[in-house]
Amino acid sequence: MLEQQLINGLTLGLIYALIAVGYTMVYGVIQLINFAHGEIYMLGAFFCVTFITAAGMPFYVAILMAIICCMLCGILLDIIAYRPLRKAPRLAALITAIGMSIFLQNVALIIWGSRSRPFPQGALPPFFREKALVMGDISLTWLQLFIFAVAIIMMLGLYLTINKTRIGTAMRALAQNKTAASLMGINVNYVISFTFALGSAMGAVAGILVSVYYNTLYPTMGYTAGVKAFAAAVLGGIGSVPGAMVGGVVLGVAEALGAGYVSSLYRDGVAYAVMIAVIIFRPSGILGRSVVDKA
Amino acid sequence: MTPLLEIDGISKRFGGLLALTDVSFNVIEGEILGLIGPNGAGKTTMFNCIAGVYKPTSGNLVFTRDEKSLRINGRKPEKMTELGIARTFQNIRLFSALTVLDNVRIARHCRTTSNFFRSVLRTRFQRAEEKEIVDASMRWLDFVGLGHHALADASSLSYGDQRRLEIARALATEPKLLLLDEPAAGMNPRETRMLVDLIHAILDAGVSVMLIEHDMKLVMKICKRLVVLDHGTLIAEGGPKEVRENPQVIEAYLGRGAAHA
Amino acid sequence: MNIGKSLILLIVAAVLTYPLVPQSSDYIIHVMTLAMVYMILAMGLNIVPGFCGLLDLGYVGFYGIGAYTAGLLTIHYDMSFWVIVPLAALNGALWGALLGAPTLRLTGDYFAIVTFGFSELVVLFLTNEIWLTRGPLGLPGIQPITVNLTWLNEAWYFQFYDKTPNFYVVALLVGLVFFIMRRMEDSRLGRAWYAIREDPLAAASCGVNILNYKVIAFAISAAIGAVGGCFYARWSMFLSPDMFKFWESFLVLCMVVLGGLGNIKGALLGAVILVCLGEVLREVLTSLGLPPETRFMAYGLIMVLIMRFKPSGFFPAIASSGRSNPLLLDLQKRLAARNAPKDEARDAAA
Repeated sequence: MLEQQLINGLTLGLIYALIAVGYTMVYGVIQLINFAHGEIYMLGAFFCVTFITAAGMPFYVAILMAIICCMLCGILLDIIAYRPLRKAPRLAALITAIGMSIFLQNVALIIWGSRSRPFPQGALPPFFREKALVMGDISLTWLQLFIFAVAIIMMLGLYLTINKTRIGTAMRALAQNKTAASLMGINVNYVISFTFALGSAMGAVAGILVSVYYNTLYPTMGYTAGVKAFAAAVLGGIGSVPGAMVGGVVLGVAEALGAGYVSSLYRDGVAYAVMIAVIIFRPSGILGRSVVDKA
Repeated sequence: MTPLLEIDGISKRFGGLLALTDVSFNVIEGEILGLIGPNGAGKTTMFNCIAGVYKPTSGNLVFTRDEKSLRINGRKPEKMTELGIARTFQNIRLFSALTVLDNVRIARHCRTTSNFFRSVLRTRFQRAEEKEIVDASMRWLDFVGLGHHALADASSLSYGDQRRLEIARALATEPKLLLLDEPAAGMNPRETRMLVDLIHAILDAGVSVMLIEHDMKLVMKICKRLVVLDHGTLIAEGGPKEVRENPQVIEAYLGRGAAHA
Repeated sequence: MNIGKSLILLIVAAVLTYPLVPQSSDYIIHVMTLAMVYMILAMGLNIVPGFCGLLDLGYVGFYGIGAYTAGLLTIHYDMSFWVIVPLAALNGALWGALLGAPTLRLTGDYFAIVTFGFSELVVLFLTNEIWLTRGPLGLPGIQPITVNLTWLNEAWYFQFYDKTPNFYVVALLVGLVFFIMRRMEDSRLGRAWYAIREDPLAAASCGVNILNYKVIAFAISAAIGAVGGCFYARWSMFLSPDMFKFWESFLVLCMVVLGGLGNIKGALLGAVILVCLGEVLREVLTSLGLPPETRFMAYGLIMVLIMRFKPSGFFPAIASSGRSNPLLLDLQKRLAARNAPKDEARDAAA
């Protein structure tokens, strides 16, 4: 069953990676752990389902609408909560991020209720649950293939955006030195908003994919997924986008293997343990920069 | 005479950049040594190596205290302070939310020992030590002329007073060597004159001084000996007059060709 | 003594005598006891973000460690509460030091996330190690606090099933923790913490070993959390892993932020306000047909608004340690005497 575990882990890992890039990009430009990113992911799933059930939109249109809504949420989150604190001590921004995360989670709780709900199956293309590939014991559903494809396309798109476009260059400049970037005529707030929008779009897609994959969504789903994705970002090296991708996949596979071979009870524990171990032994992660306090 | 601090072939590399290349010079007990050079010459890097903020890539730092010589490179900043090397910062780094007195009281940390249990039980020893801390702190505040501001917030002081508070804080650690990083920066002429008197008083109190300074008039006036860095290498060493006339120094400051002009 | 201080003393005295009033309501005593449990936690947590400037998101982990230490020692070894408190504190401090020593080198954000991961691991452990903790079923049958004075008088054996004696036990603990905090704050230890919070590099150049002092802060804070857990276990007589989820850490952090990071009185006030607010919201939300957990929305909002508009909370952090310290009062007098002649001279010149 090793191969099957690996495939399940890979599916999960790609989704983690999608969330993790959101953490890492925001951290790159404003050095803030955006704890509320997990909530954007949760909102992505809920928006999508709401558009399908309440507005009767087709699946793909609902996805697109949910992405747009989440991008707006991400931008607003930054403008309302974080922007006023740019010059405040980091502790203040971090506490605000935690506060926003809890706030958004409870708003969702009030709007959609605390019970978990299934993803409306009728809206999904019927072939999703069918097996696309069967090789001996292992099988791969169309849904898993769809997740692979979407995740990889989004990553590629992100890579091209960051490395081949003007705004991507501006983002990288900002990550290096905010003052110098603004002196070079880069509109810092615009680039930060763009970063939030980009990260939120990836997070929203991840939220939708997860809720389809597990056929369930609930307002606190952003909490564990957020931490795990953050663990993935740390594992890959915070601030490094390719690192977040690698970290997500490694973590997903580690978790699937850990659950399969060590103890399924500690499934979530694997992520936390990996994260703590990485932070202690190699805080710069697989592909990141050093983070040990200079002083 | 054994030097107080022997800097022996110090190099410091940041990635591909060599900030200091094989720099050697001595600090002699009881002197005011000026460390000068154009911007980016590596002066503050040198200070940071001596103060333990950076670990030198190669070379040796040998500090002599009570006739014992110790190789000190790579020790942590708090260890350097404990040994007797204190410093101020180029851009003032006070504990600005605390009072003037508290800023200096914190500097007594390495000369005192009360731990958690003594503090909670407030033993006779701890109370005596607390009194000693306040007295010593006041002594140093009076020394730099800030005694009457002791209970004010550090952030309420004027710029020149903040620089002097930083010096008082450094002195309260009871150093043998005091590193001053651009102490006169941003001071008005009156404050600068007071600073000169203060540095002489520090010397009289038995503390050797090494300073980085851009105000050449000040440097030439108070330093008997100067060390000049440029692009991370030592280009001249000697008395103010010698250094001023050294063609390499003139070139470093004014650009190639100026020495012959 | 000024009016404010007398008023505070009066309130404290009134609260402390309330359970003795014959018509006192059990519910109010319960809420006050709960508020005092949170006072202990808030004071303990305050050390890390308030004094050292580091965000600790896993405080509830130590609370849980303390609670389960107390619960298990009571059930299996029938130990006295008064022996368990120091043991649990030690256990908390041990875990604090073990977790802090390798992770406090890192920048604050990483530390925050490590503490979070740690407390989640604690909950997973409590949930899954059924042989030890009975897992999600919880740990029932913890004996209440006892006071055994039979060595003085045969009849003096008390078991605190009632609310009133528990109220006084926790009041005693609050007093003890408050006393320790006040003494630490105005000491070499407290000053070293402020220095780290204000400027780590300058602190190091004053001779403060930053890592050591952060670890000490974290361990003491963990120990205080464990003491809180200890009382909670013997008071509620039942423990379950759900009680120690991230929400609790968040609530305590919110108390500290609201009261004022780095101020002990602020932590006390924050605990009272949020426990009362929690009770009110529970009623209001239930009557609105919303789940009581949604009260956390208010807490989240409070945190965001405080950070935005009043980052120092109700009471700003200590600017000068121990304004009531006799040494400083004496110094103040001396300075006044010294400055006075100068002022006179200036007046004469003018």
